[in-house]
Amino acid sequence: MAEEKERKKKEEKEDVEELREVLSVVSKEVPALIKGIIASVFSEEAGRDMGRAAAAFYKELKEAGMPDDVAVKMTEGYISSFTSLGEVMKRAVGGKGEESKELEKEISKRIKEKLAEKGLAEKEEEEDED
Amino acid sequence: MRLRSIISLVLHATRLLLSLLALWLSLGWKVRRARKAFEKELAKMGMTKKDAKKLSAWYSKLKNDIMQTVKSSLFAWR
Repeated sequence: MAEEKERKKKEEKEDVEELREVLSVVSKEVPALIKGIIASVFSEEAGRDMGRAAAAFYKELKEAGMPDDVAVKMTEGYISSFTSLGEVMKRAVGGKGEESKELEKEISKRIKEKLAEKGLAEKEEEEDED
Repeated sequence: MRLRSIISLVLHATRLLLSLLALWLSLGWKVRRARKAFEKELAKMGMTKKDAKKLSAWYSKLKNDIMQTVKSSLFAWR
């Protein structure tokens, strides 16, 4: 009994240690990573580069004799291809397809079944002991 | 030893949250600067100010999309 208590205490201590180590790395790396991602899209330099690309596209269209409103519309389409980055992120992070939802249901069903089986087995063991 | 670990854990978590808060606060400013630089480049090529503003709106849309994604993923974890 005392041994088990000691073991549990040791495990708890190790868990706290582990969590501390994980958090110490995460607290340094995650903000740096997010900062890098943000800087690559939302910075003066990135805006200028993107503006140059869009402006060159617009200029080419104008020089080819495209009407102003059509050139603007086409440039808008060219730029909107970059907004798909947001869509990609949405799908990658939050997007759950039908398949994953079904899988989630199946997993929770199996877990419930196993727990029920385990519960029954434990009851039987208790009855046998009595 | 354990108390030290817990204190260190809380400090790291606070540091993480403060860094994320600072990033969130500075994001609006960064978007504004990127938009201005973008509009300036378009104006150089002869685009009207109105059209340049219309085109630079995608920056705000992108920012909103990213924030929405982060928020929804946070709520999904809870």
